[in-house]
Parts: sequence; C-alpha cells; structure tokens
Amino acid sequence: MAKRIAVLAAALMLIVSACGGTSTGGTAAGCTVGVSWNNYQEERWAKWDEPAIKAAIAAGGGKYVSNDAKSSAETQASNVDNLISQGAKVVIVLAQDGTAIKPSVAKAIQNGAAVISYDRLIEDPKALYITFDNVLVGKLEAQAVFKAKATGNYVVIKGNKADANADFLRGGMDQVIGDAVKSGAIKIVGETYTDNWDPSKAQTEMEQFLTANQNKVDAVLSENDGMAGGVVAALTAQGLAGKVPVSGQDGDKAALNRVALGTQTVDVWKDARALGKAAGDAAMQLCKNSDVSKVTGTAPFKTPGGNTVSSILLQPDPITKDNLKDVLSAGWITKADLCQGVKAGTVSDCN
Amino acid sequence: MSGPTVPTEAATQGRTAGSIGSLLDELGAALAPVRRTLSYLEIDTRLLGMVVALAIIWTGFDIISNGIFLSPRNLWNLSVQSASIAIMASGMVLIIVSRGIDLSVGSMLGFLGYTMAMIQAVWLPQALGLGFEQPYTWIVTILLGIALGTIIGGLQGFVVAYAGVPSFIVTLGGLLVWRGLIFRYAQGQTIAPLDQNFQMLGGGTVGTRVGALGEWASWILGAVICVGIVVTLITSRRRRRRYGFPVRPLWAEALLGLVGSGAVLGVVWVANSYPLPVNVANQYAQEHGIAVPPGGLFIPTGLAFPVVVMLLVTLVITFIASRRRFGRYVYAIGGNPDAAALAGINVRRTVMLTFALMGALAAISAAVQTARLNAAVTNLGVQNELDVISAAVIGGTSFAGGIGTIPGAILGAVVMQSLRSGMVLLLVDSPTQDIVVGVVLVAAVGLDTVFRRRSR
Repeated sequence: MAKRIAVLAAALMLIVSACGGTSTGGTAAGCTVGVSWNNYQEERWAKWDEPAIKAAIAAGGGKYVSNDAKSSAETQASNVDNLISQGAKVVIVLAQDGTAIKPSVAKAIQNGAAVISYDRLIEDPKALYITFDNVLVGKLEAQAVFKAKATGNYVVIKGNKADANADFLRGGMDQVIGDAVKSGAIKIVGETYTDNWDPSKAQTEMEQFLTANQNKVDAVLSENDGMAGGVVAALTAQGLAGKVPVSGQDGDKAALNRVALGTQTVDVWKDARALGKAAGDAAMQLCKNSDVSKVTGTAPFKTPGGNTVSSILLQPDPITKDNLKDVLSAGWITKADLCQGVKAGTVSDCN
Repeated sequence: MSGPTVPTEAATQGRTAGSIGSLLDELGAALAPVRRTLSYLEIDTRLLGMVVALAIIWTGFDIISNGIFLSPRNLWNLSVQSASIAIMASGMVLIIVSRGIDLSVGSMLGFLGYTMAMIQAVWLPQALGLGFEQPYTWIVTILLGIALGTIIGGLQGFVVAYAGVPSFIVTLGGLLVWRGLIFRYAQGQTIAPLDQNFQMLGGGTVGTRVGALGEWASWILGAVICVGIVVTLITSRRRRRRYGFPVRPLWAEALLGLVGSGAVLGVVWVANSYPLPVNVANQYAQEHGIAVPPGGLFIPTGLAFPVVVMLLVTLVITFIASRRRFGRYVYAIGGNPDAAALAGINVRRTVMLTFALMGALAAISAAVQTARLNAAVTNLGVQNELDVISAAVIGGTSFAGGIGTIPGAILGAVVMQSLRSGMVLLLVDSPTQDIVVGVVLVAAVGLDTVFRRRSR
C-alpha cells in the first residue's frame, strides 16, 4: 500500500514537474526539498521549525514535501527513500538514530541528492550538519553566571549521563570557569549528572548540596531550564532565590518568567525558526549545486566519530533581564506569560 | 595435579558452608531470650531488622559526613524527599499482597500532576476566567485530581480483574499510555508557577509562608497521635480479652506505648529543631516588626505538610488493611485466591479497588511532587514505579502474595531515600548511586529470603 502511494506520488511529481517546465541544474525554481521528521507529534517541529523551513523554500521558489517516521528508525530509512522517489533533490533529515540512518543517507547521496542533517548529527562526511552550537550554549550559560559571580562556591547540575549533550555543555562551561577553578578562585562544591534531566531530582540534589555546605553556595550552573526550576525551588526554600545566580537553556516559558522575576540569571535561547530558516536557505543553495562545502557560512566540524563534516553552527541567544524584548518581539512568548507575578517597574520590558 | 586438589576444595567448601550454618545456629541460640521478649511484644522481627539496618545506614552516613547527615535540617529534608514515594508505597503493598503489580504509578503521577497543574494554572484562572490565587483553587484542584486518579486507576483495575489481563501487562500499557497522553496535550511545556496555597502542600516556601505545621501545631499533632497509640493499645487489649484471645503481659503493653509515643515525639522534636532558614526568618521578622537578636532568630519549622499528608495516608491505609473487611480480603486473596473466592469473597471487585486506591494515592503524591517543584514538567515521576516497588519490597512485601505491611513499606521508602540523598551529600556520582541502590535492593530481599527459609 505504502509502496503504491509512493509510486503514485512519484508519478504525480513527474507530471507536476513536467507541467511546470522545470529545468534541471543551475536553478532552484521548482526544486523539490524533502524533509524527513523523526517525530512530528512533538510540538516544536510543527510549531516552529516547519513553517520556517517552508517559508525559506517558498522564497527560493522550491517545493516542500515531508513525511514522519513516528519515532521509528526503520520507518525513517524507507521515508528517506520515498522522498528521493518523490523527486527530492535535497533531503533534510531530523534523525531518529544518527547511525541507523547512515545507509539511507549514503544511498540518497549516491543518487545525486544532497542531505542536510538537521539539529542532530549524522556521521556522513558528505552531509551538511546544521545545528546550534551546544558547546557554545554551555559557554554562554557559564559566562552570564560568571559575570554575576566570578568567585566562590559553584554547584554544577548536569543532565543525563547517557546524553552526549550533557558533556558538550559541561565542556563549554569549562572554557569560562576552568582557569578560575584551577587558581582556586572558584571552588566546585557539588557536581552531578541528573537522570533523565529530571527537575525533581535536580531539586533534591540542590537541597543536599545546600545542606552539605551550610548554604554557602554562591552560583549554580544548571545545564537546562527544567533542572534550573528544581534548583530555584530548593533555593526558595532557603530564602536564597534571586540571591544566587542560576543558568539554564531552552527558552521554556516558566524559565523566561523566572528570568523576569530575577530568580534565574540567564536562559540561553535557541530559536528553532532560525534553525529552520538556515536549513531552508541551505537547501535552496544545494538545489543549484549539490556540493555541501560550497554553501555559504559552512565550516568544517570534527565529529565525535572522527569524521570531518561541513557544518553550519548557529549562535544561540543568551536571554537575561536586559534583553527580554528579544523573545517578546520574536513572538516566542506572550507578555502575560513572561511577566506573570513581576512587580511593576522592576523590569523595563514588562512595563 | 588436579586429582588431589579437587576433594580438598570440596571439603573446604563443605566445611565453610557448615560453619556458616553453625554460626547462624549459635547466633540464634544467643538471641533466644531477645526473641522471646519480642514474641511477647508481638513485633515483627523483620520490621525490627529494618530499623536496625536504617540505624546503621544513618550512623554510617553521619560519621562520613561529619555530623551533617543527622542534623535536623537534613532529616527534615529527608522526610520531605521520602514522603511522595512513601505515600504510593502504601498502596503498592496492597496490590503486591493481592499478587498484582502496578508499573504505571510513575506515569499516572506525571499525568495527574500535569492535569492538576493545568486545572490551577490554566483552566480555572484562564479558561473559566476565575483568576489566579483564589482561596478555593487548591482544594478544587486536589479533589478533581484524586477523582481522576481513582477513575484511571480503577479503569486499569477493571481490565485486570474483569477482563483477566495480567496486571503486569495492563499497567505496562498504562505506563506508556499515561506518559504518551502527557506529551500529547502538554506539548513538552512546563506549567509554572502554581497556586500559592497549593505550593504549601509540597513543604516549600512562598515569601515567609512555609509549608509546615509550625512549632505548636506539630506538638499538638504529636500529642494526638500519642493518645491514639495508647487508646488503640487499650481497646485492642479489651477486645482480645472479650473474645478470649491471649493478651500481652502488662509490661509489654506499657513498653510498646512508651516506645511508640517516644518515637512520635522524637520526630516532632527533630522537626521543631530545624529553624526557618536565616533569610526567611529575617524577612519574617521584618514583616512582623520583630527585632532580630544577635544570634539570629530561631523559629521552629515543625512537621512539613508532605509528611503530615503521608502520616494521615498511612494511618488510614493501615486501618483499612488491618481493621476493615476490604483489607482482610486483600490478604486472603494474596494468600490463596482460589480459597478466597470459594469463601465467598468478591475477588474481582477487591482487586479492582486496590488499583483504584493506587490511582488515588498517585494523585496525592502528584500533588505533593508538583507543589514541591512549583511546576509540572513532562517527565514528572519518570521511574518512580521502580522506587515505589523497591520501597514495598525492601519493606518486606512478598511477590508470592499475602505478606507485606504498610509501616514496612514506609521504612523501605525512607531507607531508599536515605541512601540516595546520603550519597549526594557525600558527592557520590549518579552511576555509582544506581549501583549501590541496586545492590542494596537485591541484598535486602536476598537476606530476608534466606532468614525466612531458616526460620521455618
């Protein structure tokens, strides 16, 4: 059944492109870009990423097709093949499993299509890797906290031990505080991984670190917003919320509200729409020339697997009390959500 | 070469096994008077064993942490951290006793916590336009949550009892379904902040309001429980005498009453020895125009609300399990389901009710956890089923059915949480924590099985 639909779709594509009088090579007009989502049910992809990709492709005169693997690596492998048979010249893959998808990606590239690994790395040297720079996220988190408190006792709440991102983020933090730790200006009095990035566990960890140090904790580096919520709850119980700088990332509404309230210092925000736009723009360039290293703004990236891939690493935006207008003007959060409970006159962007 | 060594090894092994056995026998003989005393007191020796184990863990952590572990502050934290698992563990005991299992408690907790957060932060104030921070918000939220918990727990119980699908499978399905539903309608978002009255349930702090009873209310509650213990002892003695059952010697009754009341008052004393944190106390002084003395203000915190909730829940469930017909049916079904059915017990209805009760308790735990975090997150309660089942099993509940006590499960939850938070205190990393907890789980149940086999 699925195969028949695919054949039908391919036939339809042929007719459409024939009617449109598409010329192959050199131009992007009428070029088909396929997107393989790993799990379209997650809100983010439908709400933020897809519209941005679609808009960028439409602006370049291309056509957008997509399918959803429903969190299955096997389904995604056949989905990529389907996109090729639908006439896609560029395939954007949000990988369910960056290793399992490799054979399909290699096959697509052999068939003359260009592949973009979107947000998650696929270890294929010929695929273009577009993502936010996770090491930089960690660095920006640490910078904001370090700016607020450059010496004293630090606590580091890391994410899931099985998630490579937890270590990327920690590496970025070390670029900022590493020297101060060596010189003794900063003492790390507690550092732990947190199973499943679980905010309740982070809260318990923070309570124990506060108890062990008689509340002498001067700053907390939390790797994401959820855990920062647990940390702030533990600090609130000791009357320390707002007095101890805390970091986070993700742009959670609750966390941005904490930034406005002053209980969280920084929320490193990764605008999914910027990522979508970058991928759409890159796809339109790849329609003209399928050599990924020729896309503007690429740089070589050494992967953990030892490959060198072309990559576009986007800059995340650290949101502090001073630039809350960035998330407001971008329409990421409403003023009511951002400023709930904020005392009038304390934050300029809430007035 | 191998010829002569083999018999030697065998002989050595035989001797070792024999000497361990005789050692245990000697130990048993030496402890005989103790055992006799305990049989007068009618105390479960296993429960006593757990108390001893807990004492060893606590003392060990206290020595290594230079006295931080047994500080009032850490014990207060520990009591709050254990409460949510302990609440669910008391329901899990009844399910395991009647030969079932509920793997869905973590997901149910997440789903119910999320729903309760939506009720108080979105539906009541925004969708119905009633506004934030209404005086009735918290109670409406909790009642709806408990009702929903009872329904979804009962639904699983219905499938288990009336459709005859094994509870392992039904609740494994539940584990996936309830978690899936959260993602479905939560879309990965965190719901925060929550209602301020509701937050009190988690033992948290809002401004200078702390989610605890305070000094005098704690003492009063402690006194009420002490009176309850004495009254229970007296009435049960009278009842036994009326039916001609043997009664404990009077000294044993007195000792039980003293130890029980002493333990309760001790807990209250520890909770009252934990003062409000300096910053909170200073703000409190400022708001109430109290001058802060040079040594700082000492305002006792008292029993935290999650602990009060846990105490109430365990009292009610213990009462149901030991004094009500439903409780006796549960144990009878666990002992022998066929005999129970032949004796005229409505097995299906009873089994369904245990699951419904579990759902209600998951809702109460969900309220405590979300209130404590002051947020509902999509991964709330992930893997809590493992903690809850471990607590019940460490507390002496047997998968063979028919055996298990609620106080045991509460102790089990405290043992688990003591290990976890003690290790965080000592900066043990999380993979090592998992290894230790896993080993302790198997060792506790293993030792228990060995001793039970010997005592037969």
